[in-house]
Amino acid sequence: MDMTIVLNTLENGAVSEQMGTLIKDGDVEVLNTSDMKIAHCLGCNMCWLKTPGLCAIKDDYAGIIKKLVGAENLWLVSDTRFGFVDWRGKRVMDRIVPMLNMYVEFREGLERHELRYHPLNFGLLYKGKADREFLEEWSRRVASNLAGKSLGVIKMGEGEPCM
Amino acid sequence: MHVVIINGSPRVQKFSNTDKIIQSFGKGLHVSGATYELYSLSNRQEWDAAREAFIRHDQIIFALPLFVECVPGIMLEFLESLPTERKNPAQMSFILHGGFDEGHQFRLGERFLQSLPEQFGCTYGGCLIQGGSFLIRFRDDEKMKKAMDKKIDAYIQMGQSFVSNGNFMTEEASKFIGYEKNPWIVHLLFRLFIKRLVRKNFERFAQQWGCTRPLDDKPYL
Repeated sequence: MDMTIVLNTLENGAVSEQMGTLIKDGDVEVLNTSDMKIAHCLGCNMCWLKTPGLCAIKDDYAGIIKKLVGAENLWLVSDTRFGFVDWRGKRVMDRIVPMLNMYVEFREGLERHELRYHPLNFGLLYKGKADREFLEEWSRRVASNLAGKSLGVIKMGEGEPCM
Repeated sequence: MHVVIINGSPRVQKFSNTDKIIQSFGKGLHVSGATYELYSLSNRQEWDAAREAFIRHDQIIFALPLFVECVPGIMLEFLESLPTERKNPAQMSFILHGGFDEGHQFRLGERFLQSLPEQFGCTYGGCLIQGGSFLIRFRDDEKMKKAMDKKIDAYIQMGQSFVSNGNFMTEEASKFIGYEKNPWIVHLLFRLFIKRLVRKNFERFAQQWGCTRPLDDKPYL
């Protein structure tokens, strides 16, 4: 059965009941990152070239990577700013790099890093005023980097995902 | 002209490819008689001064690497700390770079950057883009060093161009990225030769860094 990880980056950890309705089948685990110690990615490349697959930052994100290794779907729940996800939402996505490895390949005609584990589908549930079409394109590109498909972009308080 | 340059990379300045790009671009500014002051967001102690400089001056350039298809989270955090209204007009321009070398990889990030100045009461001064910057840090053999020196040195001319034109809204700047998509021959050569060569290079770098595991290791399986 598909495992879904929901990274809730909203400040108070509150999520709408909407997440439950988004995921029709499979196991779901919601992780509230506001309760966690998570630093920004340092761009140090240690996870690619020194300790492959292991981040040099010793904080709570290692637990998230372990969960993602056992998952097929990732939903990001994020507030927005400047029409995009806010820095809390982007911070947890910047740290996803150890899920890929250093090697490069062409996938569907695009330069991509190879997957370290397996494809991961990606979706976004966002709060606030944002450029929805931009977020959809970002979501597609993030999913493409992870060799998965976009699960859609949903504004909190609305119903169906926009694929 | 006096330019405030803010390095939006989270990587420490000493190892920052963005910093090397800025230093070269800054040479070009100096050659053309302009001055600049630099702040690096990787150092939190510089944030207050960077914010002050952003408010006070009228030529601001953010230089940044592409992170997960957009702006690094650390730069978004800094942007959230800036005032969204200003008394004096200013121009915000951008230098965007990243590991992959095709133009289309940067277009979404560019689109986001394009939308930013207006949200801070500034005008948009364009975005200078170049890919293939991953190797800037790795110049251990002559051939690679030469190629990377050439890449970095090209920013000197772009610094001069920025002073003479006042922005990056020029044909010269828009051509800086090179190919929008690699031609088919590159795909073919990649499959036949380049892929193997690139892998070997990465493995050599890893060895130099003291890596004892395969690069495609799966530590959590």
